[in-house]
Amino acid sequence: MTYKVNSEGNISIVYLNGEIDMDVADKAKDLILPLIESGKEVHINLKEVTYMDSSGVSVLIESHQKANEKKNKVILKEISKPVLKVIMMAKLEQILNIA
Amino acid sequence: MEKSLSKEFEVNSSQLKEIRQFIRDFTKSSNLLKDCQEDIALAVTEACQNIIKHAYKDRLPTTDKIKIEINLSSKQIIINIFDRGISVVPKNIKPRKLDDVKPGGLGTFFIGQIMDEVNFVTNKKENWVNHLRLVKNI
Repeated sequence: MTYKVNSEGNISIVYLNGEIDMDVADKAKDLILPLIESGKEVHINLKEVTYMDSSGVSVLIESHQKANEKKNKVILKEISKPVLKVIMMAKLEQILNIA
Repeated sequence: MEKSLSKEFEVNSSQLKEIRQFIRDFTKSSNLLKDCQEDIALAVTEACQNIIKHAYKDRLPTTDKIKIEINLSSKQIIINIFDRGISVVPKNIKPRKLDDVKPGGLGTFFIGQIMDEVNFVTNKKENWVNHLRLVKNI
């Protein structure tokens, strides 16, 4: 997994790339959670994520819950087909913020 | 036409990508599996992830291996996964309820959604401790 982060005002846009599994889930979490903690609205662009399993889905859930605690938002953008498939399998499409 | 392949992997999360590649290389050679290649790679990854997380909890690093055997026939693909971690008690393995939204607990649920049969085999081969059998009908 590789990533890039852009900032636009109070919004951080996190571009994730590649496969997100147990081996890299902590790296994704360590990238995203501090942005939420700092009070930023975080947009996670998932266009280039070619694989995601339950570990990656857990990062999305934890990010969503952390943002709710902070009364802020995490928005998932340009979700790739493999990621959408696992989100829907877990019936999270009505829970996570999807743009 | 029947086809089989097996390979052993280190018990380490860094191997998960290699495990997926092993599954993809096998499944892409069959037209029968063209619609479910990535689903099978996901189910096997989840199963191996569970071994690393739970069967080898507090036992890493280790020189043990995970063995994956794949058997393809015209009717089904059977994947046997063996490990020598802590013995699994099948009745204790339960996916979490989907409406209890929290991180974790989805791997077993995904495996169950993808595969037609998921069971632990008690008549173990060689000296493996756990033997998970996954079957997908084609």
